Amino acid sequence: MKFTAYKPLARSVLLESLRRKDLWVVAILGFLIILCAGTLGFFGFDGLEIFAKDLAVTVLGLFSTIIAVLTSCRLIPDEIKNRTLYPLLARPITRFDLLIGKLMGAVVVTWISFLILCGLTAIALTVFHVQFNVIMLQYVFAKMIGLVVICALSMTLSIYLTPNASATLAFILAFGTPMMTRGLTMSATSVGPFGKFVYATINGALPQVQLFDIGGRAVYPNWAPVPMWVIGFLVAYGMIYSFAMLGAGWLKFRKQAV
Amino acid sequence: MHPAISVENLFVQYKTKKGEIVDAVKDLSFHVQEGEIVGFLGPNGAGKSSTLKVLMGFVNSQSGNASIFGEAAGTPESRKQIGYLPEVAMYYPFLTPLETLTMYGELQGLKGPWLKKEILDLLDLLGIGNSAKKLNRSLSKGMLQRVGIAQSLLGNPKLLILDEVTSGLDPVGRKELRNLLKQRQQDGATLFFSSHELAEVDMLCDRIILMNKGEFVEEKIVASLKDELQTFALVYSNMTSLRGLTDHIVVRDIDKFEARFGTKEAMITAIGRVQAGGGQVLDVVAKEGSLENYFVETVEAAA
Repeated sequence: MKFTAYKPLARSVLLESLRRKDLWVVAILGFLIILCAGTLGFFGFDGLEIFAKDLAVTVLGLFSTIIAVLTSCRLIPDEIKNRTLYPLLARPITRFDLLIGKLMGAVVVTWISFLILCGLTAIALTVFHVQFNVIMLQYVFAKMIGLVVICALSMTLSIYLTPNASATLAFILAFGTPMMTRGLTMSATSVGPFGKFVYATINGALPQVQLFDIGGRAVYPNWAPVPMWVIGFLVAYGMIYSFAMLGAGWLKFRKQAV
Repeated sequence: MHPAISVENLFVQYKTKKGEIVDAVKDLSFHVQEGEIVGFLGPNGAGKSSTLKVLMGFVNSQSGNASIFGEAAGTPESRKQIGYLPEVAMYYPFLTPLETLTMYGELQGLKGPWLKKEILDLLDLLGIGNSAKKLNRSLSKGMLQRVGIAQSLLGNPKLLILDEVTSGLDPVGRKELRNLLKQRQQDGATLFFSSHELAEVDMLCDRIILMNKGEFVEEKIVASLKDELQTFALVYSNMTSLRGLTDHIVVRDIDKFEARFGTKEAMITAIGRVQAGGGQVLDVVAKEGSLENYFVETVEAAA
């Protein structure tokens, strides 16, 4: 692993994304958020604080996931298609270094987008005197770790599948995992030990992105902050899952003829 | 001392989309010594790019060995010593040449003000200093090729592997590039490049390696090859028998003949015969052979 390789790779992803005006999409989404808040204000905001916060975290979760998937899914396929991969791989770095550097770039782009959206949402809610508490900050932090998982998952899928197929599957997994997990857990109660093992394995392989979404609690003004050990667990799970995803991507990418 | 490039019994296969196995390179062996400029020639589909890709680690060989200065080809250690220009130069459209080269330089392990100075010097040397801060997407094909050449020269690598190096360059650019590459050789670099531009190969290379249909055909020292390809013409008067020396005799005029010889020795013998027969030698011409004819004939013979 070559740590000096990650910064230039990540910077190039960020610069390309900025100049390609990808972040304009974020600005438009942010404008929509403010517009929604304005509409709420127009019809009267009293007693709607929880609803407004709930709507905000739902919109933030949706938009940031879309940005994470779309940014990460095209990185490696675009490098191969545009033949920009050759001069990169001609450098004294490993293909794993390349994957880490590209993932870091995708994560930085996603985080910046997410934080811009958070900032705009916060401004929109502050106008209506919505109170923020510690758990809101924890929500933002946990969500950022969850976005790393989604980026790693999307990039790995794009190594095995076409960009469109990988984006579709990444969306299904990012939005559908909570439902799939519930289904698997319920089904596991009615099968034997081997069936339980199979279900547990499938469940373990799924990205448990719902763990990172504490927005449901964060919207209530009196909800206590999440204990730090839980946040620590989320960080550990996020890192382990992301590295496992990168490892799975590398297994194919390391020997892939380009 | 290890050769700059060593390839031994290399086999490379590809699987087509239909699942068929295609032999791209078959039992290829050659060496490139440090300080040489070697041209890697062959028609389209000969296996040149596949071989270069193995040297860079972009594809894996089925069997055989390839090494760069003694390091297994394709490893980060071997790539530390290589500057590589791909056949089709594409660079990030939304970055500038300065940013692009900074990224490649940093990946190469270079950094700081020294890197920036080297980049700007290289861009100036390649005639695109004024475009250092324009987006790559706004540059012409020739300018992008120069960006590609600049990235391959970053960090003063010991070995330059260049795939179709003159592609997209105008005649002035080609001449400048030739001078630049010659200068790099004088500074100790080894050059290994594939090209279809035989005139460039002729002017630049010390040696050529010829491939066809994935197989090694032959290698030649360019200076010796030029000697081999050189022909000699003798214009003389008086019908003198040159039997045994040449069959190529053309009647130019009444009592004026032109005979062609493959070697200088045959021509000297012929001059002796003409003079002994009372004839006069009117003209002696040495003609350069065509590398293109040699290329076509050799490839056809190998097919």
